[in-house]
Amino acid sequence: MTKLVSGDGRTHIESRLMRESLQDRAVLTGTDSDRDIHIFPDATMISIGGQSIFDRGKAAILPMVDEIAAIKKANPKIKLLIGVGGGTRVRHTTSIALDLGLPVGGIAQLVGAMEELNAILLNALLAPHGSMPMQRDHFWDLPLYFDAGITPIAISVPPFHFWEPPPAHGHEPEHGSDFGMFQMANVLSMKSLIFVKDEDGLYDSDPKRNPAAKKLGTHLKLEHLLNNLPAELPIDLAVFQSWKDSKNLERIQIINGLVPGQLTAALRGEDVGTVITKGEKS
Amino acid sequence: MSLERRTLPSTLSASVPTKYQPNAVMPDVKVLKIGGQSIQDRGRAALFPILDEIVEARRLGIQVVVLSGGGTRARHIYSIASELEMPTGVLASLGKYIPMQNARMLQMLLAKHGGIYILPDDFEKLPLYLQMGCIPVMSGMPPFGYWEKREEGSRIPPHRTDAGVFLSAEFLGCKRALFIKDEDGLHTDDPKKNPSAPLIPRITAKELTAKNLPDVVIERMVVEYLPRAQWCKELQIVNGLKPGQVLAALKGEDVGTIITAT
Repeated sequence: MTKLVSGDGRTHIESRLMRESLQDRAVLTGTDSDRDIHIFPDATMISIGGQSIFDRGKAAILPMVDEIAAIKKANPKIKLLIGVGGGTRVRHTTSIALDLGLPVGGIAQLVGAMEELNAILLNALLAPHGSMPMQRDHFWDLPLYFDAGITPIAISVPPFHFWEPPPAHGHEPEHGSDFGMFQMANVLSMKSLIFVKDEDGLYDSDPKRNPAAKKLGTHLKLEHLLNNLPAELPIDLAVFQSWKDSKNLERIQIINGLVPGQLTAALRGEDVGTVITKGEKS
Repeated sequence: MSLERRTLPSTLSASVPTKYQPNAVMPDVKVLKIGGQSIQDRGRAALFPILDEIVEARRLGIQVVVLSGGGTRARHIYSIASELEMPTGVLASLGKYIPMQNARMLQMLLAKHGGIYILPDDFEKLPLYLQMGCIPVMSGMPPFGYWEKREEGSRIPPHRTDAGVFLSAEFLGCKRALFIKDEDGLHTDDPKKNPSAPLIPRITAKELTAKNLPDVVIERMVVEYLPRAQWCKELQIVNGLKPGQVLAALKGEDVGTIITAT
């Protein structure tokens, strides 16, 4: 039976962590193990780029919506969660906010509204094929969505808001929509996270500006990528840094949403674009 | 239909401004944490004298925002959730509820002196509340929840209520964040287990990190962030069990331990 323990002026509930400092390294280690419970291991998180897809307008958005609709029609029970980036409006917000000298937490509080606009557009287009906006952390509704053939569209920017920590470099928030979607995929232990961008995977520089850019490969190990980071990445570095210390997510894939069929192939498990893995299996 | 990216040029977008000139949001506010395990789990004997000093400070015109900690109930749920191998993000979500209870308790006690319970998004209403003479009370837990990152070798959320207090002070542009605990400040070891551990009155974040102590009185994330802060460059830890310390700290006096950014 649980009991209340006093005697040192405080009232404790008996537990392994009772009276302990949660800063004590020995205590912290005792809480860990090499695995987490797996909550939705057969679900996939899809991130649709803001600059790379939505800022291109109808010509890029509609084929993407058609492809998702076809995927859902062919496999009504497919377990997908979709999030979107904010693109150029996020950059514009940040540039104004930086000029105004707003604190990093203030900038983080502002930017999420720009991703929301793309989420509304996507919902309006995908709703006839079965989509719904998902409230912030209503993950426990997901079994219902999946069972009903509904694809939830998540809020991609993480809720750090005013509490965005001071960044290691510069003055912009480190935790944007890429990180938010990574974290959802990881905490819910999904099988894969697919970033839909506008290039066939990861390159050593931006192929749009440098035609001689070389693809980093079809298969990459996270450790190799972190040790050989290209000067510019189409995905926030915070994703890969957090992935290093996480236990659950095994696969991140970066594909080209401007090439019809790549998303369908990626969801079949095919190695289009660049596939990054973490563990022993490649 | 064009496949071109439609970008938004702004006069500023060509290059990120080279010189960032930060603006403090509410620099006169004092952000203060009342410890969970250290104070609130002790009940009225420890808590009431501290609340008296906060009310006195408010009467002197000092603008105080009170944040709560967790304590033994947080340790209890973290312990059970760890056994179940729940991810850190789930623990961080569970960890929100206890500081929320503690904040509501504080609000009920402070209500007759202007205590109001506020939510994370209510920072934008602070100017009104503070001008009315209110004492805003909120949970110290940052709202990261399921988005909390895991720390190597631990399942416990690394950002807890100390981090929430520091990050609140930093956002508001306060110079110092104040932590009320049941120790005189920072010691070289947990003074409850090693009573001869000496007090450290003033130390830099770098010096503290270099000591590589097995245990510290404040969350390690806060010590890591401190040198990067734009505004909140000092953390003050005072003993709430000693009469007068809280009021002295709210008046800006250097009691307890002060951890500085540099």
